Amino acid sequence: MELALEFFSRLLTQFQSPALAFLMGGMLLAACGSKLTIPDSIYRFCVFMLLMRIGLEGGMAIREADLSAMILPAVISIFLGCAIVIVGRLTLARLPGVNTEDGIATAGLFGAVSASTLAVAMALLEEQDVFYEAWVPALYPFMDIPALIIAILLANIYLAKQKGSKREKVQVKSIITDSLRSAALSALLLGLLLGLLTHPERVFESFYDPLFRGFLSVLMLTMGMEAWTRLSEMKRVAHWYIVYGAIAPLMHGLLAFGLGYIAHELTGFSPGGVILLAVIAGSSSDISGPPTLRAAIPSANPSAYIGSSTSVGTPVAIVIGVPLYIALADAVFGL
Amino acid sequence: MDHFKATKVVIITEQMILDQVAHLIENAGARGYTVTPAGGKGSRGVRSTGRAAVIDGFSNVKIEVITGSKEAANRIADEVTERFFDHYSGITYLEEVEILRQDKFALLIQS
Repeated sequence: MELALEFFSRLLTQFQSPALAFLMGGMLLAACGSKLTIPDSIYRFCVFMLLMRIGLEGGMAIREADLSAMILPAVISIFLGCAIVIVGRLTLARLPGVNTEDGIATAGLFGAVSASTLAVAMALLEEQDVFYEAWVPALYPFMDIPALIIAILLANIYLAKQKGSKREKVQVKSIITDSLRSAALSALLLGLLLGLLTHPERVFESFYDPLFRGFLSVLMLTMGMEAWTRLSEMKRVAHWYIVYGAIAPLMHGLLAFGLGYIAHELTGFSPGGVILLAVIAGSSSDISGPPTLRAAIPSANPSAYIGSSTSVGTPVAIVIGVPLYIALADAVFGL
Repeated sequence: MDHFKATKVVIITEQMILDQVAHLIENAGARGYTVTPAGGKGSRGVRSTGRAAVIDGFSNVKIEVITGSKEAANRIADEVTERFFDHYSGITYLEEVEILRQDKFALLIQS
C-alpha cells in the first residue's frame, strides 16, 4: 500500500514538468478557440532543432561508447515495431465498425515512433539526472521503419485478397529511403554523423543545447493545439479508435519496459535506457509516418489514423506514458 | 501586343501528391506551372494556410497551368481527376484566359 502511494506521488510530480504543461496548455487554448497560431515554418524549425540536438549529443557520446551493447536493444526495437503492428492488425482492425485498411494504418502509426515524445522523455530524464546510453535515441529508426513496412505489407495482402488479384509488390526500398529522407530522421541522422565525425562541441554548447527546452515548449504547445483541433475529425470514425488510442500506447510501453528489463538483466542496459525504450515503443508517429502511409495505402482514411495518433495516442503517450515509465523505473530500479 | 486565347487548368489538392501532379502536367506537354499554398473549406473540412500543419504534406496547394491547347488542358484535368481524386482530396476547373507571348504556352512535343 505504501509502495502504491509512493508510486502515485512520484507520478504526480512528473505531471508538473514544463513539457507536459505546454502540451495541455495548447489543448486548452484550442479548446477555448484562441486565435493564437504557431506558423508552419517555426514549427518545422523546432522539429529540426530538437532532432539535431538529440543527434549531435548522441553522436558526440557514441565516440567513446561500446556499441556492441546496442545489439540486443536494437533487435528488441525491431521486434517491437513488427509486433505492435501485427497485434493491432489482429485486434483493432477486426473490431466492428473499423475499416480493415484504416485499422492496419493506425496500428502502423502506433508502431512507428514520435520524435517529440522522445524529446520530452529525454528532457525529463536530464532534469532528473538519470543516465542513459548515448546511442538510445538511435534506436528510433530500428522501430520506426519495420513498423511502417509491416503495416504497408499487411494492407497490401488484405487489399489483394479483397480484390482477388495478385498482390502488388511492396516497395520496401522506397519505404526505407522515404523514411530516411523525412524531416525528422534526416535531421537526427545528420546530427549523429556530425557529432561522431566532427567536433561540433562549441555550436552545440552555445546554440543547440541551451535552446532545446525553449523550442520543445513551443513544439508541445503546437502539438497540443493540433491534438485538440483534430479531435473533431474523430467524431466521424468508429469509437474504437479512441479506445485503441488511449490503451495501446501504454500497453506497448509496458511491453517494451518488460523486454528492456530483460536486456537490463542480460547485458546491463541502463534503467534510463529502459525508460526511453518504453517511450519509443509507446509513442505513435505524428510527423513523418502519416505521409508514408498515405502514399502507400491511399485507400485508408487519414482521419482515422491521424486522429487516433495525434489527438489521442500522442497526448496519452506523453502525459501518462512518460511519467508512468519513470515512476515505474524508480520503483523497479530505484533511480 | 497581340493577345491570344488560352486555357488555364487550376488544381487544388494535397501537397503530398504535388510531385506526381507536376509530372503528369509535364507529360501532357505543358511548359510550366505555378504552385501556391492554398487553404479554405471543402467536403473534407477546413484547411488553413497560416497554422502549422503538424503532419508533413497534409496542407493544400493550388497548381495553375496555362496552355495554348484546349485538348492538353482537358487531358490534364481528366487525368488528375481519374488518378487521384478517389483517394486524395482535390478539385480541378478550367478557365479561358488571354495570354501575351504565345510561344511561352505552346505545347512541347514529346520526342
